[in-house]
Amino acid sequence: MIGHRRMVEKDILEKIVFLKDLPEPVLEKIGNIAHLETFDEEGILFRQNQEQILVYMLVSGKVFLNCRSALGKSLTLDEVLPGRTFGVSALMGETSSTFTAVCVEPCEIITLSGEKMLELFENDFKTGHSLMLKVVGIFRSRMKMHTRQFLHSLASHPEVI
Amino acid sequence: MVKIEDLKRINLLRNFPDHLFEIIAKEAQLSIFGADTKLIAVNKPIDTFYMLIMGQVAVKRELTPKIDIILDNIQSGSSFGTSALIKGSTANYIAICQEPCEVITLSGERMQQLFKENHELAYYMMLGVAKQYKRKMDTRAQMIMKTLNENPELKEDINDIENLTLVI
Repeated sequence: MIGHRRMVEKDILEKIVFLKDLPEPVLEKIGNIAHLETFDEEGILFRQNQEQILVYMLVSGKVFLNCRSALGKSLTLDEVLPGRTFGVSALMGETSSTFTAVCVEPCEIITLSGEKMLELFENDFKTGHSLMLKVVGIFRSRMKMHTRQFLHSLASHPEVI
Repeated sequence: MVKIEDLKRINLLRNFPDHLFEIIAKEAQLSIFGADTKLIAVNKPIDTFYMLIMGQVAVKRELTPKIDIILDNIQSGSSFGTSALIKGSTANYIAICQEPCEVITLSGERMQQLFKENHELAYYMMLGVAKQYKRKMDTRAQMIMKTLNENPELKEDINDIENLTLVI
């Protein structure tokens, strides 16, 4: 359940890893379109395969990212802790969510409209570029790691080839 | 110089503003490579960004001296060598033409220079690269989740499953 919403001050935004090192004027712009919201325990932020229009930045509390298989089994893939950002699909104009996000305790979360963030990037391409570069850097290193692990597994179990 | 109509066939450049197509068109080269041409080689710098117009390119890694694993088959409209747009990095894979290929190439060094001068171009290119990575990561996550669903005992062997998500 959603509690109160308010604009977000710079000192709160600075706690978010993704926004680290951004210049003050950019943080102010983000603060103007961001909302600080409180969610109760068991509050569902978004559901797998449903439209996802917000980016979430966890200030306090804990969120689980779960996925449900075709057979209906639920699996917790990630435990999101304060300072982390999730729901980044909305930043790329891609609105279908891969996971379900659920609060496992009362949470304070910064929410940002993906559409408004894209507008901000289009008015300030330099910031847009540096944030997208961060996203790409993280995705790229995870892809490399997955590939390395996959090859290691195949090398350890050559019978599956 | 390449035709803007050819650039519009590339998935990563989808929804780019027309004036950016003009900039890219001036920088790009259209090349035809024969079957078995190695475009990216292991331990060599990735200095070119490739956009495939026609043909098929295999992305491979050597598993053992006798076995290569194909990690991806790049089809027309797809691109590879994105590391060239970020900073010079060394390849740990091979990209090889499976058949004669028509490819648009961009110099990584020149594009990085342009990014410093044109933040709009830099933003749209990086947004395209991020979307491409996301699609690949989503596909991998779905494959891994399907495998875990069928073989739940494997989950105990995975200590970094959280890296499947897009938390940053």
